[in-house]
Amino acid sequence: MFKNQTGSAFRIALLSLALSLLSFAPADAANPTPKRIISLSPSATETLFAIGAGAQVIAVDDLSNFPTNAPITQLSAFNPNVEALLNYKPDLIILNADATKALDIKTALEKLRIKVFLERAPDNLSRVYQEISALGRATGNVAGAQNVITDMKTKIKAALKSGRKARKISFFHELDNTLYSATSDTFIGKVYKDFNLANIADPAASADSAGYPQLQSEYLIKANPRIIFLADAQYGESIKTLAKRPGWNKVSAITKKNVIALPEDIPSRWGPRLADFYQFIATSIAKIA
Amino acid sequence: MKLKGNESALSPIWNWKITALSFALLFFVAILAISFGPVPLSFQKILRTLFGLSGGLTGQERTLLIDLRLPRALLAALVGAALATSGAVYQTVFRNPLADPYLLGAAAGAGLGATIAITSAGADLYNLLPIFSFIGAILAVLVSFFISGKFFAEPNSLLLSGIAVGSFATAVQTYLQQRNSSSLRPVYSWILGELTVANWQIVTWSAIYILIALTILVTVSKQLDGLMLTDDEAYSLGINPNRLRVIAVIAATLATATAVSASGLIGFVGIVVPHLVRGITHRVTNRGLLTIALVGASFLVLADLGARTLLSPAELPIGVITAFVGAPFFLVVLRKKRLVTQ
Repeated sequence: MFKNQTGSAFRIALLSLALSLLSFAPADAANPTPKRIISLSPSATETLFAIGAGAQVIAVDDLSNFPTNAPITQLSAFNPNVEALLNYKPDLIILNADATKALDIKTALEKLRIKVFLERAPDNLSRVYQEISALGRATGNVAGAQNVITDMKTKIKAALKSGRKARKISFFHELDNTLYSATSDTFIGKVYKDFNLANIADPAASADSAGYPQLQSEYLIKANPRIIFLADAQYGESIKTLAKRPGWNKVSAITKKNVIALPEDIPSRWGPRLADFYQFIATSIAKIA
Repeated sequence: MKLKGNESALSPIWNWKITALSFALLFFVAILAISFGPVPLSFQKILRTLFGLSGGLTGQERTLLIDLRLPRALLAALVGAALATSGAVYQTVFRNPLADPYLLGAAAGAGLGATIAITSAGADLYNLLPIFSFIGAILAVLVSFFISGKFFAEPNSLLLSGIAVGSFATAVQTYLQQRNSSSLRPVYSWILGELTVANWQIVTWSAIYILIALTILVTVSKQLDGLMLTDDEAYSLGINPNRLRVIAVIAATLATATAVSASGLIGFVGIVVPHLVRGITHRVTNRGLLTIALVGASFLVLADLGARTLLSPAELPIGVITAFVGAPFFLVVLRKKRLVTQ
């Protein structure tokens, strides 16, 4: 509790400092096409580079590790610092709506005549497309955005055509080894749902309004999923470590060796690589009937 | 923590009936805990399996009982006993009814250790989380000791240095967490406490450390009462108060560090249970330490049953239950106790 108070006190001090610098801010608001963009969202960074706005981007946050030529910095997307942002003399900032005090920071930046694009985590595919085209409009890359969307739609359609199951197959999506999972209400859950996979986390949906409940080991064994997707493969989990967990060696996904290690980052980003993720799922479940 | 002037001061100091009763309570609660879960198991078969009789559970049902429910109930019992006993001992050593097992920075140190393990990118450290949090807890307490210098000449200075070390460790932990925002959820769920990772390996090594620590504490419990007097009075009873305090704090810290590294930060047990037992039995002496351990074990086994069943098939963090149930219950006891002693 103290942390928050000192944090907000610090931020207020910071904002007032920033406001006092108002008269020194660059006043190129008349220019409609932003040339100095800061992206504080790994998903938006991927989108910006895909739609052809890469050359306008001068800085991206510390988690924007794709594409590799993005100008990665120490800027925090999670806890943005107004003064650090001003240092780059930006004319457009992509801000994640889930960032700490996102709305206050947006107001402060707008008072400094810096445009802010507030990016909200989409909860379905059409929202993803809307966001990509909105980014296209905001950066003057409307055609590029349209191409990306068309391309994604084609890829996803093809992936679903080849991969969608005729009959439901049960699966478990593992976020970590304490069995946090994602229900069909989440973005990733909807991807699986598109393939007609049955999520064993859904009966626990009421436990977390955001759709990320922690399941019991005993329940998982009882549910006996036929596929397990590991979002924690990067933390060392694999079919070997899973089989060692008490009672798991008889779980169908493990006896049939249907444990799939998900690629890093891609499943949690709602940019153009989402289409690659659909293709990945289609390929990895192709042989499971 | 003075002896209040009612009949409790005159009643026998150690009562085998209460100890036997708390043993029975723990046994009953443990049986209850392993009987419930998402998969319904026959109660009769559970008992037959436990006592090695024929006609027990077989195959997967047996695995569920033996490898999932049993280690979890045992770990809950061990952690509950460790936290409750350490809390009672800290309260005596610091002559402070608000002292809890996390007082000397053990919780913050363990939190820092766990966060280091979680935020380190490599898979290797992540698996070492229990060891990191154990070392973090021990280090924080050691640093508190060295900074305060005179050990126990001034219990309050140790207490203050413990608070300072704890705040420092929390600051470093928060910094690491902010720099690795993807670690927020695992760190947060560790802080709330979790017994979901229980397996026989964790139960075995926590049992070794916790039982050693508890044996030491119960053995010295008779002398611990001497710490409620002034140091001069303690010396006249043949007790070396400073040596006793060091032994007691080391043993309590070992128990706490083990509990924390096995299950995260489960709050409230260390304060509620000792006062609860003292309130119900009207015994303020440390000879009730064994009872406190047993009731602490029962309390946490019961809380974990709630954690597993209330949101089933999802989990509820056990720390939420211990405080949600513990706090009101504690207030009732506190009020009754005051009515009795007035």
